[in-house]
Amino acid sequence: MNSPTRAGGTPAGSRSASTGAGRASLRIGLAGLRAHKRRFAGTFVAVFLGVAFLAGTMVMGDTLRASFGKLFADANSGTDTVVRGADEVTASGPGPGPGQGTREPVPTGLVDAIRKVPGVAAVAPVIEGAGELVKADGKSLDTRGPTVAGNWIDEPGLNPYKLVEGHAPKAPGEIVVNRDAARRGGLEIGDRTLLRTPDPVHVTVVGVATFGNEDGEGQTTYAGMTRADAERYLMPKPGEATTIKVRAGPGISQQQLTERVAKVLPAHYEAITGTQASDETQESTSGAFLDIFTTLLTVFAGIALLVATFSIHNTFAIVVAQRTRENALLRALGATRRQVLGSTMAEAAAVAVLATAAGLLGGIGIAAGLQALFPAVGFPFPKGALQIHVLALAVPLAVGLLVCLGSAASPAVRAGRTAPVAALRESATDTSGGSRRRAAIGLCTAVAGVAMTVGGAAAGPNLPLTALGAVLTLAAFVVLGPVASSVAVRVLGAPVGRLRGVTGSLARRNALRSPKRTAATATALMIGVAVVSVFTVLGASMKATLNQTVDRSFAGDVAISAQVYGAGGAGLSPQLATTVAELPEVQDSVGLGVGVAEVDGAGRRLTVTDPAALSRLLDLGKVQGSLAHLGTTQIAVAKDEADKRGLAAGSRVPLTFADGTRVDFTVGAVYDQAGLAGNYLISRAAWEPHRVQDKDTLVAIDFRDGVSTAQGKAAVTEAVTAFGSPDVQTKSEYATSSAAGIDTFLTLIYALLALAVLIALLGIANTLTLAVHERTRELGLLRAVGQTRGQLRAMVRWESVVVAAFGTAGGLGLGTFLGWALVKATDGSGTGAFAVPPLPLAVVLLVGVAAGMLAGWRPARRAARLDILRAIATE
Amino acid sequence: MSGLTARHTGPGPAAGAEDGTAARVVDAAKVYGTGDAAVRALDGVTVGFPAGRFTAIMGPSGSGKSTLMHCAAGLDSLSSGSAWIGGTELGTLGDRQLTLLRRERIGFVFQAFNLVPTLTVAENVTLPLDLAGRRPDAEWIDALIDVVGLRDRLRHRPSELSGGQQQRVAVARALAGRPEVVFADEPTGNLDSRSGGEVLALLGRAVHDMGRTVVMVTHDPVAAAHADEVVFLADGRLVDMMTAPTAGRVLDRMKAFDTKAFDGRPAGGGGTSS
Ligand SMILES: Nc1ncnc2c1ncn2[C@@H]1O[C@H](COP(=O)(O)OP(=O)(O)OP(=O)(O)O)[C@@H](O)[C@H]1O
Ligand SMILES: [Mg+2]
Repeated sequence: MNSPTRAGGTPAGSRSASTGAGRASLRIGLAGLRAHKRRFAGTFVAVFLGVAFLAGTMVMGDTLRASFGKLFADANSGTDTVVRGADEVTASGPGPGPGQGTREPVPTGLVDAIRKVPGVAAVAPVIEGAGELVKADGKSLDTRGPTVAGNWIDEPGLNPYKLVEGHAPKAPGEIVVNRDAARRGGLEIGDRTLLRTPDPVHVTVVGVATFGNEDGEGQTTYAGMTRADAERYLMPKPGEATTIKVRAGPGISQQQLTERVAKVLPAHYEAITGTQASDETQESTSGAFLDIFTTLLTVFAGIALLVATFSIHNTFAIVVAQRTRENALLRALGATRRQVLGSTMAEAAAVAVLATAAGLLGGIGIAAGLQALFPAVGFPFPKGALQIHVLALAVPLAVGLLVCLGSAASPAVRAGRTAPVAALRESATDTSGGSRRRAAIGLCTAVAGVAMTVGGAAAGPNLPLTALGAVLTLAAFVVLGPVASSVAVRVLGAPVGRLRGVTGSLARRNALRSPKRTAATATALMIGVAVVSVFTVLGASMKATLNQTVDRSFAGDVAISAQVYGAGGAGLSPQLATTVAELPEVQDSVGLGVGVAEVDGAGRRLTVTDPAALSRLLDLGKVQGSLAHLGTTQIAVAKDEADKRGLAAGSRVPLTFADGTRVDFTVGAVYDQAGLAGNYLISRAAWEPHRVQDKDTLVAIDFRDGVSTAQGKAAVTEAVTAFGSPDVQTKSEYATSSAAGIDTFLTLIYALLALAVLIALLGIANTLTLAVHERTRELGLLRAVGQTRGQLRAMVRWESVVVAAFGTAGGLGLGTFLGWALVKATDGSGTGAFAVPPLPLAVVLLVGVAAGMLAGWRPARRAARLDILRAIATE
Repeated sequence: MSGLTARHTGPGPAAGAEDGTAARVVDAAKVYGTGDAAVRALDGVTVGFPAGRFTAIMGPSGSGKSTLMHCAAGLDSLSSGSAWIGGTELGTLGDRQLTLLRRERIGFVFQAFNLVPTLTVAENVTLPLDLAGRRPDAEWIDALIDVVGLRDRLRHRPSELSGGQQQRVAVARALAGRPEVVFADEPTGNLDSRSGGEVLALLGRAVHDMGRTVVMVTHDPVAAAHADEVVFLADGRLVDMMTAPTAGRVLDRMKAFDTKAFDGRPAGGGGTSS
């Protein structure tokens, strides 16, 4: 390629020679790629899927964020200033009820003062609360988002809703609903129905509205009523509103108006600009959700790409091994190490560029498809142009190239190291794998990883330590793979050999041929299956914990519970428990409501209830002190929480409420089991002055002796029809329905993991295809001496099954272990349950093995199509 | 060892077609490619391989020896003409039937890469039987192992054997199922003269002690001299035959191919042996 140059040639000459050499590697690399397109099909698909998933997630996230932003900005465009209570109490931790930002209502009397501020064009009090619409059929409208009720605002520009049909509410009981809610609830103008606030209110639909130009504010259902109704049903007392909205006259900026309005406000109230308010609404309504959603998707794209990395690395390693002779010949003919390395990298780069570019296009396609799909499956996400930001292209591009080139790097270096004499030797497969050094390193890592994981999970619990241990354990599995694969394949393959005779034992031995390759192939699947198992174990443990809590804690006969998942639901009417209590079948009935307050400066959820009745219907364990007379001066605290805060019966606890008042309570009782009761109990009388809109989340009911569950349940069901017919559940039904959200979540996770598993299976198929290619001559020989096509196909398929079984079994083991660690490490109170669900895990194993059979399908078919003579004659 | 002859069962020398050939091709032509690029690898060959005899096929490189053998053994199909194993015409068989026929009635020895690397010597020997799900005749296999002299190597992998040992295993495998015909394509091509001699002696014993039929392609006149007869191919045609060959006579005949261009079609169509 370079003409003979004299020794000591000019620098320029040597530079041109080296670029010429570089071009040669590129040419050789590309020729290799062209000649073996099929070998890289798997790599291409793996990178493509991973990049497409990532790019799709990012584009979709940006698009949704932009659409929601526009939606809220448009809807609030008329509002320049918002007045609200300055104090906010946010309860941390999971649980039902008003978690985020509970504020004190604003007195509507301020409206007049604000109207007098120069530059104010319009003012309106805004009342907002929870209101669940009951459908035409008497059942609550099942919502996927918040259920909002409020006063219909007539001031133009201050109402984000636009009347499109009918008229605004004028008389008591008249409401306007948003179009999406009307459609889903089967409600039309003139229809009478119930609005649960959560007390049932008889209403008549008199108008239909849109939010901006959309049928609804995302998933939210809206019911607008007269201001008098809203004050009566949604506010603790008349003369109060949630916020006050102000619009500026011409020439006044939001900032100016807000500053002027702020001056006339008494203490404890604040004014913010309309922009800030709409940003905050967006953040709390959709932003937080979108962040979680896109983060989740990104994590799973990451898992898919990790799995892809293993598959791609394996492909390159095999291709380089198969090309040993060719590379050695190049080296013998004078190619430098760098040139051989360069030609391999050139091949990788070409695949990377093509696959990543295709992946980006695919990602945009996915985002566009999903955008079109959401409305079709009933998610009224706002419309908006597809947002393709630079970052959403640059990140997947960089990740795709990095994954591809990074995976090819070590095989390329190995290619460069090929000794020229290898051209003359018979090329032998690399049977190494179980080297001592590898075993030693792997074992040390495994011991350290497992010790840290177990240590972090059991003693402490210490989540960071467990996480570090988990990563080390995973690394150990990867390192030990080749060592373990010989043993594992021998064990797992034994039944195959026994069942399928010589075909089976040939399959098993083929899987044993190159432990490193088998391990790398299986590792990809192992990671996917491990993540699936972690979530399966986690989900089962969460369900078991819920069951256990209900089982231990619930001492009644039936329960009525508010919707536990989704942001929606107005909860249960506090009157429900008292109505039910009057039934002759019912012995006892108690409602549990939710309140928030700051205890020593930290936001906490309070259970608002009748503590004496509660202690008869929930098992609170041992109680120190008395629950019977908490009254308005005492609260009760669960033992764990009391210990943490250094409280005991008789201690003083100051509570600060959202209205800014601070009240000193005494701990009247300490109970052992928090369970369904929660950490703090407060009487309804004590809560009353600080309430905004009361609701119960659970009503527990106990029947009189001699009343059968069926009888009692029928009576209660009949009695609650006036409340929108919430489900009356037995103890086990209640436990199951509490866990329903977990199943939904698991389904979503499985769907997301399917991609990673698919990539892993493509990896198996690809490795097999390469192996079949490599063994062409041997396969021809087998066919010549009498192996039928069917037997050959079975042999390849069973090899695939054995490798898949190895990966699946490893993944199940690793996943179950890490699932256990995660359950323990996140269980601070030590009351959580750990469950290994045998059936789902057996299904995972079965699916893994079956998928292995599927992955072997194409390679097996290709192998069986081999022409015997060609195979024998193959060089 | 001598018991091998007495004990053998199954299709023996008498099991061939009425004319006493274990395998034959009639008017066989094989064309590779089409149009200008077409190559007539076989051009009207008729030849029968008599049962219970050791036949060698010779000829210059590219003369069609391998092609003839592949077609006669059912590894490849003819463009025209017919190929027979005993009384079965191969052209009428589908892939599966051909596979079963190969597994039950034919044995193969190739020049190299005869053995499956993942299987031990013993497993390689019984491979065709295992594939057929047939129970190997333990005594027969045992005797075979002794004949090929590999008793102490049964648990070894092919990669642990020398080239000659590998070929001996291949011969044992070819005979394990007591096939009617054993086809061997340059079985000694990669071996030195001593190992080659051992392999040829084995093939000879298969014919003379065990009553098998062996057809062998070779380049080596010394190897051909182990055969009972030699057929010569040139340019895809049968050009000569020789009974009771010696290395010298074969060498002389081969030299004739090099020195003078071949003309005409001698013995065309009449290439049956007596
Ligand atoms: N698959 C094929 N496609 C095209 N031509 C072929 C093919 N196989 C063989 N040939 C041609 O057919 C002719 C006969 O080939 P064959 O392999 O039978 O020769 P041979 O006598 O075995 O030679 P050698 O002694 O070199 O092995 C040759 O000219 C060869 O080039
Ligand atoms: Mg040949």
